[in-house]
Amino acid sequence: MIAGVSRGLESVPARTRYLCLILVLVAAFASSIVSAQYQKKPPDFGGSYSFPSPTHPEPRTAWIRTLDVSLLAAGLGIGAWLILKKRSRNGLLLLNIGAIAYFGFYRKGCICPIGAIQNVTLALVDSHYMISLGVIAFFFLPLVAALLVGRVFCGGVCPLGAVQDIVLLRPIKVPETLDRALAWLRYVYLGLALWFAGWGLHLAIGSWKLDIGRRFLICEWDPFIGIFRVSGPFHMLAIGAAFIIGGMFVGRPYCRWLCPYGGLLSILSRVSWKNVVITPDKELDCGLCANSCPYGAIHQLRADRASCLSCARCYASCPREFEHHGRQAAAAPLIQVQRR
Amino acid sequence: MTEKSTRRRFIEGSCRLLGLVTLGGAAGVLTERTSANAVYQVDPNKCKSCDLCRTSCVLSLSAVKAVNDFEKCGYCMLCPAYMDVTSKPDEKGIPMGKVCPQDALKRRVVGRVDPDDPNNNYYEYIVDETRCDGCGKCVKACLPPAGNGSLRLEIRYNRCVECNECAIRIVCPDNAIVRLPVPGVAPPSTHTS
Repeated sequence: MIAGVSRGLESVPARTRYLCLILVLVAAFASSIVSAQYQKKPPDFGGSYSFPSPTHPEPRTAWIRTLDVSLLAAGLGIGAWLILKKRSRNGLLLLNIGAIAYFGFYRKGCICPIGAIQNVTLALVDSHYMISLGVIAFFFLPLVAALLVGRVFCGGVCPLGAVQDIVLLRPIKVPETLDRALAWLRYVYLGLALWFAGWGLHLAIGSWKLDIGRRFLICEWDPFIGIFRVSGPFHMLAIGAAFIIGGMFVGRPYCRWLCPYGGLLSILSRVSWKNVVITPDKELDCGLCANSCPYGAIHQLRADRASCLSCARCYASCPREFEHHGRQAAAAPLIQVQRR
Repeated sequence: MTEKSTRRRFIEGSCRLLGLVTLGGAAGVLTERTSANAVYQVDPNKCKSCDLCRTSCVLSLSAVKAVNDFEKCGYCMLCPAYMDVTSKPDEKGIPMGKVCPQDALKRRVVGRVDPDDPNNNYYEYIVDETRCDGCGKCVKACLPPAGNGSLRLEIRYNRCVECNECAIRIVCPDNAIVRLPVPGVAPPSTHTS
């Protein structure tokens, strides 16, 4: 380009050519002064000082980001194997403790599928919202598992469920009608959570205005998150403590009556491919298991797929379990009666 | 097996298949939309350093830290973010109080050192991240015209546990917590001196 310009200038008389050159040089000099005024230069420190390289740490690498998802998938798989194949309550307890340790205390109860309901809603409503792949996986994996093997997530991997399961001391029987009525609360809560996550609340009646933007209700009102984080506002810690103390006598109140994700899993597990069968082989209808379920999930001597939380407690009450696995059944003496 | 139970099993199987397809489809749609992982970061141009970053993070020591942009920093002796300019001065006229309640903002003299006149020296300011709790007092104090606006609050990716919803984002009154695609480069601050 410059070569082209200078070749073009050759046809111009010499004096004009010099004038042009001087003009160009002056313009270049002036522009360099102007730009120098706006260019920020580091101060002259003297000596040998160089900038510390700005330390902006990289986001977590891809394999660590997938670790949560892999652990969830592994937990679901191991849980299904322990509950349906191995029929081991002790193994499930270990899995529960692992879930509390990792998803509860290490991950601070976050990332979790229950809260992911809101992320998914927001992502569907607002196309600008960036949802991460991990959250998508967390939302869908337990749902798929529920279609295949029932509520294994509730029984094995959910840290909120595991905390309540472990503190259960002396379950009292909740009347079935009350249990069913309270279970509807899950769907009310789910509806509220969806509404607040996607749209928020904007009300104006006359001069009275209520403007609550998008809120993640499930996360804000999670009773156990304060326990996992060992901190939180007082009212949340109080609610958490109330659920723990109540959970000693009423089996998993949050899971059965409030958990919105439990509501979704409950619907899907109605058509699950495999589910908890109390007897290891044929059904006896002996009735010995009837009172073994702390969650009121045994209806007409069968584990109800929708409300069974896959805790594996009922297995121990079955006389056939004793014969099959050599385990001491709760009603061992009655096995003799069965044989006669 | 009776006819009834066969029919029931067929209906259940169809429902299951339908459910699987729906779930797979929904997951596919969402994955298409995100196509990348995302991280949380503070937009320095919206942030008002309100102290909620310190109190709202799920970590007991917030993942939000003050970060000094060395290219912008004036290396001043009398740094308004380092020393509390309203505090009582010593005999040389230098304020004795510090802005940082955690004493997390550290400084060292750099370059050619003039031992007689401290005002003639340059100081490098570095945030000690093991102490900084992200309260943002220094960030506020560094804002122009007092300072250069070189300090800013930043979510440190090596500390952030990536909750599915950032607890600070929920409460932030200025919507300053933004989602960035990975690799997440924080938006530059437009505070100029």
